[in-house]
Amino acid sequence: MSRKFINHYEVREDRYYTETDEWVVIQGNIAIIGITDYAQKKLRDIVGVDLPKEGKEVKKGESVGVIESVKAASDVYSPLTGKIIEVNKRLVDEPELLNKSPYDDGWIFKLEIHRPEEKSKLLSPEGYIKKIGGESG
Amino acid sequence: MKTKRESPLLEIHKSLNANIGEFAGWIMPMSYGDYMKEHLSVRTEVGVFDISHMGRLRVTGRDSLLILDYLTTRKIVPIKNIIIGPNAFLNENGGFLDDVLVYVIEQDNYLLVTNAINKDKIKNWLLYWRDIKKMDFEVKDLTDETAMIAIQGKKAKEISILNSYSNLKPLTFIMSENPFLLVSRSGWTGEDGFEVIGEERRIREIFLNLVNLGIQPCGLISRDSLRLEMGFLLYGEDFDENISPVEARYWVFDISKEFLGKEKVMEKLIDGVEKLRVGLKFKKGERFIPRKGLKIAIGGKEIGEITSGHYSPLLNRAIAMGYIKSTHFFLGLNTEVAYRGKTFSAKLSDFPLI
Repeated sequence: MSRKFINHYEVREDRYYTETDEWVVIQGNIAIIGITDYAQKKLRDIVGVDLPKEGKEVKKGESVGVIESVKAASDVYSPLTGKIIEVNKRLVDEPELLNKSPYDDGWIFKLEIHRPEEKSKLLSPEGYIKKIGGESG
Repeated sequence: MKTKRESPLLEIHKSLNANIGEFAGWIMPMSYGDYMKEHLSVRTEVGVFDISHMGRLRVTGRDSLLILDYLTTRKIVPIKNIIIGPNAFLNENGGFLDDVLVYVIEQDNYLLVTNAINKDKIKNWLLYWRDIKKMDFEVKDLTDETAMIAIQGKKAKEISILNSYSNLKPLTFIMSENPFLLVSRSGWTGEDGFEVIGEERRIREIFLNLVNLGIQPCGLISRDSLRLEMGFLLYGEDFDENISPVEARYWVFDISKEFLGKEKVMEKLIDGVEKLRVGLKFKKGERFIPRKGLKIAIGGKEIGEITSGHYSPLLNRAIAMGYIKSTHFFLGLNTEVAYRGKTFSAKLSDFPLI
């Protein structure tokens, strides 16, 4: 797998990104969503997470959960419109997975994609690198 | 002058993959990836903290005893190698300028360890009173030429390289000049341990040696969660110039002696105060951090406000401290704290919270 680092922040090339620092892996009509390495480092140590409800219909850009870290409470936004089909329940007792493994074990939810055309609005890895490069200097 | 200062140990922290951040104008290690693990290391074994941001002022000269005894709330007994603390500087209204440790080196030679944000204020305060009282003493800022670390936890005394200090009694120290090195039995975590002040190079060496011995490096986040469990106050968050020892229930003064601000403190003791500091314990399993400024309520009516909060990995619950109306100081009662559209139940508790 190809990974890139910008200012110590890992960006993976096998997925899409959002302006609000989520990543999206697309497998057919299913999207898997989590937060980026940049997001978890900015939040610092994560103590808890409010997960979305399975079965819920969500719109692109809608807040579906909250991450509580020592620094702040931060919303998690759905990058696409669809139905939440699964959430990562391990995060309830092990929210630190978001720090330790943001791109793998720390995935947050899976979505059945209802509007595939929205995928074109997601950021490419290069686009995301540009975004965090501009923010983190 | 630099506005932001870097810890002299910063390169070490970076090599240990620390999460680096700013505290009180200093660039410091916040955690090494997992503050809960760091916290538990200190509670069960031992951990080492870089606390180089703490202010270090040397007060020397004929009137140093007189001035410190007048401006701080504790009696300065000039017994060599003891630490008088916690001790505090108050203003004329009885409000806290800072809480400090006073190290007695000699009758006319003291070291003050201050909060980072208050160091310059305390230095200027001492010089202001020197002029008014026409006193003879000098204040030298050692902060930039030294570094400071804390080794905390019940196993601190068993560490080989600290073995020669294991006989030190609590709140005493050993010091040598040229090169300057001061080791004290003290800390801010509620655990046994040592604090070491010395030349930057020497402190870097000790810190690295400790980490190489397998001792957990700990950042300022776990320092904060540890002190909050004990109910220790953080200046700027839990108290400031508008809070006296009475509202804070921070009994740092010797009532038998005179000190600046005593009149107001006595007035408050006799007449009573409107608010008091209290601890809060939230329910187990609610994983969040009670943020500064959140309101504390009973039956929907506000009775106070949180000044600092954390998630305790030892209790597995959120904890906080804050101030409530003295008419509602109902220890043991469950109050309400609204946060993010939810209402959390918080039991009014005394300190320590563990």
